[in-house]
Amino acid sequence: MLTEPFPIGTRAAPSRVLFGPHETNLGRDRSLSDRHVAYYRERAAGGCGVIVTETASVHPSDWPYERAPLAADCGPGWAAVVAACAPALVLASLGHAGGQGSSAYSQQALWAPSAVADAVSRELPMVMEDTEIALLTAGFASAARLAVQAGCAGVEIEAGDRSLLRQFLSGITNQRPDDYGSDKARLLREVVAAVREAVGDGVVALRLSCDELAPWAGVTPEHALELVPTLDVDLLTVVRAGPYAGSAYRPDAHAPEGFNRELCAAARKVARCPVVLQGSVVSAAVATAALEEGVADLVEMTRAQIAEPALVVKLRAGLAPRPCVLCNQACRVRDARNPIVSCIGEPRSGHELDDPQVTGHASGEVLVVGGGPAGLECARVLAQQGFSVEIREAAEVLGGAVRDAARGAGRQRLADLVDWLAAECDRLGVKVVLGHAVDRGELSTYPGRVVLTTGSRPRETGHVDSRAALRGELPEGPVLVHDPVGGPVGVSVAEMLAAEGREVRVVTQDPIVGTLLSLTGDLADCNTRLQQLGVRRELKALLRKASGGTALLEDVWTGASRTVPAAVVVDCGPRLPEEGLYETGMLRAGDCVAPRTVLEAVLEGRRVALGIGA
Amino acid sequence: MSRYPHLLSPLRLGPLTLKNRVVFSAHLTNYAHNGKPSEQHAAYYAARAAGGAGLIITEEHSTHVTDWPYEKLIHGFDPAVVPGYRRITEAVHAHGVPILAQLNHNGGQASSMFSRLPVWAPSPIPDPLFREVPKALELHEIRDVVDGYALVAEHCVAGGFDGVELQCSHSSIVRGFLSPATNVRTDAYGGVLENRARLLLEIVAAVRSVLGPSKALGVRLCGDELIEGGTTIEEAVAVAQLVDATGQVDYINTSIGVATATLYMIEASMQVPPGYAMFIPSAIREAVSIPVVGVGRFKDPTQAERALAAGQADLIGVVRGQIADPDFVRKARSGHAQDIRTCLSCNQECVGRMGLNRWLGCIENPRTGRESVVLPMPVRRAQRVLVVGGGPAGLQAAVTAAERGHQVTLLEKADRLGGQVPVAASVPSRAEFLDITRNLVGAAQRVGVDVKLLHEATAEEVLTEAPDAVILATGAVPQKPWWAGDLTQVVDVRDVLEGRAAPRGRVLVVDELGFHQATSVAELLADRGCQVEVATPGMVVGQDLGITLDLETWNVKAEAKGIAQLTDVVPMAAVEGITVTLQHHPTGTDVSRNVDWVVCAVQQRADDALWQALKGSPFPVHRVGDCVAPRRAHAAVVEGHRVAVSL
Repeated sequence: MLTEPFPIGTRAAPSRVLFGPHETNLGRDRSLSDRHVAYYRERAAGGCGVIVTETASVHPSDWPYERAPLAADCGPGWAAVVAACAPALVLASLGHAGGQGSSAYSQQALWAPSAVADAVSRELPMVMEDTEIALLTAGFASAARLAVQAGCAGVEIEAGDRSLLRQFLSGITNQRPDDYGSDKARLLREVVAAVREAVGDGVVALRLSCDELAPWAGVTPEHALELVPTLDVDLLTVVRAGPYAGSAYRPDAHAPEGFNRELCAAARKVARCPVVLQGSVVSAAVATAALEEGVADLVEMTRAQIAEPALVVKLRAGLAPRPCVLCNQACRVRDARNPIVSCIGEPRSGHELDDPQVTGHASGEVLVVGGGPAGLECARVLAQQGFSVEIREAAEVLGGAVRDAARGAGRQRLADLVDWLAAECDRLGVKVVLGHAVDRGELSTYPGRVVLTTGSRPRETGHVDSRAALRGELPEGPVLVHDPVGGPVGVSVAEMLAAEGREVRVVTQDPIVGTLLSLTGDLADCNTRLQQLGVRRELKALLRKASGGTALLEDVWTGASRTVPAAVVVDCGPRLPEEGLYETGMLRAGDCVAPRTVLEAVLEGRRVALGIGA
Repeated sequence: MSRYPHLLSPLRLGPLTLKNRVVFSAHLTNYAHNGKPSEQHAAYYAARAAGGAGLIITEEHSTHVTDWPYEKLIHGFDPAVVPGYRRITEAVHAHGVPILAQLNHNGGQASSMFSRLPVWAPSPIPDPLFREVPKALELHEIRDVVDGYALVAEHCVAGGFDGVELQCSHSSIVRGFLSPATNVRTDAYGGVLENRARLLLEIVAAVRSVLGPSKALGVRLCGDELIEGGTTIEEAVAVAQLVDATGQVDYINTSIGVATATLYMIEASMQVPPGYAMFIPSAIREAVSIPVVGVGRFKDPTQAERALAAGQADLIGVVRGQIADPDFVRKARSGHAQDIRTCLSCNQECVGRMGLNRWLGCIENPRTGRESVVLPMPVRRAQRVLVVGGGPAGLQAAVTAAERGHQVTLLEKADRLGGQVPVAASVPSRAEFLDITRNLVGAAQRVGVDVKLLHEATAEEVLTEAPDAVILATGAVPQKPWWAGDLTQVVDVRDVLEGRAAPRGRVLVVDELGFHQATSVAELLADRGCQVEVATPGMVVGQDLGITLDLETWNVKAEAKGIAQLTDVVPMAAVEGITVTLQHHPTGTDVSRNVDWVVCAVQQRADDALWQALKGSPFPVHRVGDCVAPRRAHAAVVEGHRVAVSL
């Protein structure tokens, strides 16, 4: 069902899989670039049914992030995407972020229904008057006209995550005394009508927040279910998002896969059009079940297709797609630094024009020392190129550090990636030797090429290493988790131990826990979860000493010291490269070069493999 | 005789002769486009050259592909930069001012986000900000680093630069090698100072051999890293002596702090006293034979003159001072130093935008960062422009309109100009913020704005007057939050600072703005003997102080003054007593506080009564600043400027 065609409006999508609009930072200034075209082309070639391009601002008053497309600048880009993506349907997402935007780029006041500051930016917007409302509606219409002139099958109107139209629908942000306040859906109806007129027989799709998760004044499912039957649209994507919902729209793996099913099924019952299930759907099983159970007519699998561009093609061929593990590490790029969208398991995503595809008919033998993600990816890509490959792994199981990391709270899905890599290696005939620690003598007599992917080792801190703690090798008593990194590891260790009923503290030099998780969207959430679990956060503090059941902490700014109970300290700090086998000039990849994340391991493992094949 | 005999005297710097001692030192701008210098770079530096700077040093040029810590870095290693270099150097040389390029590899103070390559550093010690474990350089990679500097020096020569400066101070692989905190190598590049300085000296030799004798070479050193186990002044002096002893270096520039650990001391805000880093050039100058540059919050020529006269340095870096006013030197030379648009050291639009990957601007100079965008010609037919409101928006609108040839009248209902600025600046630690008003009022006087104080404009009056254009800048008024009821001892920050309320005893400051309002009133009240706690719905009190580098200093002061902090709480009710109930939103539990006063730092309401009365008038009516939406001073200034230009 999932891979079969489906009619939408006057058009037909080649499959029921949708690639939703998302920030990529692939743009050139405010237009869609050749990098965008290559990015979407791969997903279309992979069998995607509907591609919704990155949301374009319908009016220059909206410039929410530096590379945010501006509809007026997108005509040629949309045309190029359409030309590259047939037979997939291409819809242009059109929006205006309103009070959730930023004035940093436009240097102009934000537009919003009422003078309510955004909860995150705290920036107070200007109240839109009739002039601005007219400009907005006209902006949607002219952008829609431009999109269909460029060949798009239609447009998708953004009333979801960061959206002025949603702000008008919500009692939190719309406190207007005029008609647009008493009839909060009026602006949306006017915009839909204007867009409908502009696109002719093209598709009018809508992405609608049906739950702002703020029932005291926000859009609730009850409101949404009253609104949905009144909407004259051809396709409806049901999402949850709102001013206080933070990460809820596209959360990481702490939220269950397919969390919007109930909401979507309810909307589908009252909608006048096909409905799309959105929300962390990454597996064919969940997607197919949603279609079979009548939850939805199509399924948005955005991150699944960032991880696996050929998702539908592989499903059709009976092959296992590379799994999305919902880590949000590289694909969620709403960040001032403008990182390019990518994927820890498929680092070519977003870099389609830079990184080569794996091809070739090479031959020869290669030994890969170490079966973590770097070694597995290296072996997989070598085997794909035709090499005869052997992995020798010291442990009794493949996966390296990821095996331990995946024991952390909310991190279980990480194991899916190394399981997939191991299965692919197996399918491609890679020989695997487990429980075998390679020594130098062995390397000197090996006839083929050797790649070291030997991973990392802990620093000598005198504390319990995070990986040992994740494996459960921990003495009794109150735990102090020392997290100078602020990434996912420290948080997941603390959460895991707290859930086991231990007394847990996290000490960090930062004013909050998990600083680096702003990129994944888990920053506020993880601090909330830790506090709900009763984990004490020892903030702005350095760990100076731990002995005799207590630890001495020192305030980073004032130098004031304090003592906290700590029968055991878990060190979640940086690790050291395992360089025991290394000699100058040897090929190596991943943590044994410098201990970092899965992304770098996979990227370098692949690079080394391609380098050998070149 | 000039009032600034030292500052305005020439100096020989190796092969160069500088007209004066003011250096526009290297600083990030985020003006680069796709790794190349832009037209904006050329226009930006040219404006400072036209304004009389003695020497300009560009922002850093990366020397190697492994170095790409932020998006808009100039990729000096790419030969494609040379035409952009030429554009810069020709634009600056047109004003007879020499310009150097700064060369750098940021080493471990970087991430692989953009390069997709391992980060390089002396040892696998992650940077405190980026927190990525670097790859410890192998010997052949050290050679690559040295070659990279030489290559970029070649590009700089081809691009017409008068020389180069090596960034070895606050964010640099060379600093990484010099510092015992980041270099734990056991080979010839680690251990004793001579070993840790080996990379620096190799780079000096390689770069000098590319430059030849006709170009200048400078080295910028860190005098104190202000980190545990890091370089301090004694060792910095020893490094400077090693550099001097090469005989190949023409000057030493200085700095303090590490950009990724102690940035708040590198680009110090108004919380840090001026001249705070001059112990560094003072100590180095005594130990070396070549000129030394001193830096650190030099805001006016007198201050720089005094430092030179005292022998603290041979040259003074004035960066923010010339960001705010490109004509800093020209005005000093021509006897108009009082007209210099003095920097506030507020860090809001210069430093504050750098960490956010945005182009560099200035809170009070709407042209900074926009030098390459040519303004339309001044008007031929002067209009009668009426500006209502004398805060920063109205003042800027009036100044720009008058500069462009209009006949401007400004009506202000209070007895002084500045709007909320004097209020904000009335907190002692924020006093320098007042300079924005001083500068604007001075400019208004010079360009002949007709200012009428104690004049509250009415709609009838404006309609009767019927000017050619009206610009409303009527500001904002405080509003009481919904949960406060009608308790008289729940007041706004402005009530306290404007003297309408004088809290005593236990005070809860509620911070929904995350900027200086709450933290500065807390400080003020603690100084007056109150027992103060600041509560915020955010995760951090004064979150945006992090952007302006005020968070560290405020926290130190808060601790000393006994100010408590409460995060993640939303006020729900305040009842007589006063008992304030706050909800700790992560856990849903209630927190209660019994206090004598509550001071609210909450969003204000736009004062748009005149706008509502006048929009649709027969003459054009514009509005700017807080009466559009209450925001920060920069929004007021840019809107005032923009509307005035558009008249």
